[in-house]
Amino acid sequence: MSYFRIAFQTMKDYWKMSIILTLIFMGIVAMYSVVYPAFKDNLQDMASTLGMKFSFIRGLEYMTTYPGFLNMELYQIFWILILGMLIGFLASSLLSKEIEGKTIDLLMSNPVSRKQIILEKYLGLIPFIVVINMITLFTVYGVTVVIGEKINLGYLIMTHAVSVPYFLAIAAVGLLISVIIDEKIKAGIITIAIIIGMYIFESISLLIPDYKFMGYVSLTHFYNPADILISGIVDIYGVVVLIIFIIVCLIISMMYFDHRDIAVS
Amino acid sequence: MITQTVTCPSCKTRITVQGNPGERIYITCPQCFIKGTFIFPEEKLITKTTVNAIETQNLTKFYGKNKGIENLTFSVKKGEIFGFLGPNGSGKTTTIRTLLGLLKPTSGEAYIFGRSIRDDIVEIKKNIGYIPGDLNLYGHLTGKQFLDYFISLRDTNATLLDELLHVFEIPSDRTIKEYSKGMKQKLGIIQAFMNDPEIVIMDEPTSGLDPLLQQSFYEFLKKEKTKGRTIFFSSHVLSEIDKICDRVAIIRDGSLVALEDIETLKRKSGKIIKAKIKENSETFPGPEDMKIKDNWIQFVVSDNIDQWIKKLAKFTILDLEISEFNLEDIFIHYYEE
Repeated sequence: MSYFRIAFQTMKDYWKMSIILTLIFMGIVAMYSVVYPAFKDNLQDMASTLGMKFSFIRGLEYMTTYPGFLNMELYQIFWILILGMLIGFLASSLLSKEIEGKTIDLLMSNPVSRKQIILEKYLGLIPFIVVINMITLFTVYGVTVVIGEKINLGYLIMTHAVSVPYFLAIAAVGLLISVIIDEKIKAGIITIAIIIGMYIFESISLLIPDYKFMGYVSLTHFYNPADILISGIVDIYGVVVLIIFIIVCLIISMMYFDHRDIAVS
Repeated sequence: MITQTVTCPSCKTRITVQGNPGERIYITCPQCFIKGTFIFPEEKLITKTTVNAIETQNLTKFYGKNKGIENLTFSVKKGEIFGFLGPNGSGKTTTIRTLLGLLKPTSGEAYIFGRSIRDDIVEIKKNIGYIPGDLNLYGHLTGKQFLDYFISLRDTNATLLDELLHVFEIPSDRTIKEYSKGMKQKLGIIQAFMNDPEIVIMDEPTSGLDPLLQQSFYEFLKKEKTKGRTIFFSSHVLSEIDKICDRVAIIRDGSLVALEDIETLKRKSGKIIKAKIKENSETFPGPEDMKIKDNWIQFVVSDNIDQWIKKLAKFTILDLEISEFNLEDIFIHYYEE
């Protein structure tokens, strides 16, 4: 029996997509950072009109500073929501693509256990999450230096490092859906709906103090780029919760896949 | 679970214990209270000559309330080409997918080379090659990349690969999505045989092949048989089963209706007598299942052919045909009930 072959193949299969997404994110980062000097003076006005007391975006009150601006424009939306959706979408095809395309039949004729297939498929997605993180980190820092702004490099690195368990948790949700739902597109839509739903729950919890508890159902609750990037505060408990969540998702995925039929449709 | 009797080393009391192969248990002797450990023996290495390649016992698979297969009991001997015959929807694919662990059996047991498909499926697959009925390959890979991937998954040298690539030529540097149906089928055959498996299970493998290629595939299978490889061949095409298989199982509505040597099956089913007589066909005292079609009398005889010829001799015979029962007739016979 051999190990990591499926993981390696999965990585290769998603390689092109990873490059494209990474380039798009580099572009988005560069765009936002570069426009900051031009925006700078207007931010004060924007801040006062927005009425920050009822803000549903975390760290909005710091939007007049450069890290606060990055947090609002880049991390709170493109990073945790949009990239989260993309990673969830990719993860939701890990198994569903093989089941729908019926290539799973041949894959499973090899001496590999079902648990191993699940685990390796998941592992195959990790390099992408790490690479897009690092490249985005370098781009943010590079552009910051170029436009002559200041950012705490340590905070920036922490923001990206802690996003890894967050994205892994998103990927674990996608994997679980992809094990249960056989159609790739359906699995993708459900996963994206879950991620958007979680984001909305978190927003409501921020907006209405009475509904604060709703935030706990969202993965975003356990990873706050605003705190890390602006103040350097890392929510260690949040990281622990994310890691436990990942493990639970993987175990459920493996157990479910172990017992299901791979029927001909 | 195995049950074993252990003898206490000091007081010789016999103690019965239960456990799984390889399991280590602690025993306290009920007589002298001496403590000790006992390791259950690993699964016995079964001598190859006595074990069937495939053995099923009342294998049953229901999809919810819908029956897939029910109480299938058969065995495939080592080194034979075993035909698995039945029309579409009769349960051939369900049987194969259950044997391969893609479907979980509802009840019953199946063993491949003595190993249970419930507990040992990963180990079993080391010795199996498989050609699915609905063959789907990774379209984005080239033929070579695909084969390399599967060789790496099995961690073998793919000893037969070169030979197979010679017999079944494929454009290995092109991506599989550019392949024709026949090319894909050839690639499916190559991947199933390349690791020199002890048994190859095929679900209607010839469906995408042109007649010429079908012919060379039959030749190939016969050659593989002489090497001692066991082949499980499902099909709804009777002529090919007739051509290459040693034994055949006929499946209908998820149940086995016949399992015979092809020759025995034919012999048992006897001969077909077709005769045209000058007199009114209705007046001939034929057997109950006699049919009359366009003035031709037609019936099947198994052993007492002499008696029927003598009966016929009393009439004026215009034309007479006596033919061997072929598999097709047998098949229709089993399905007409």
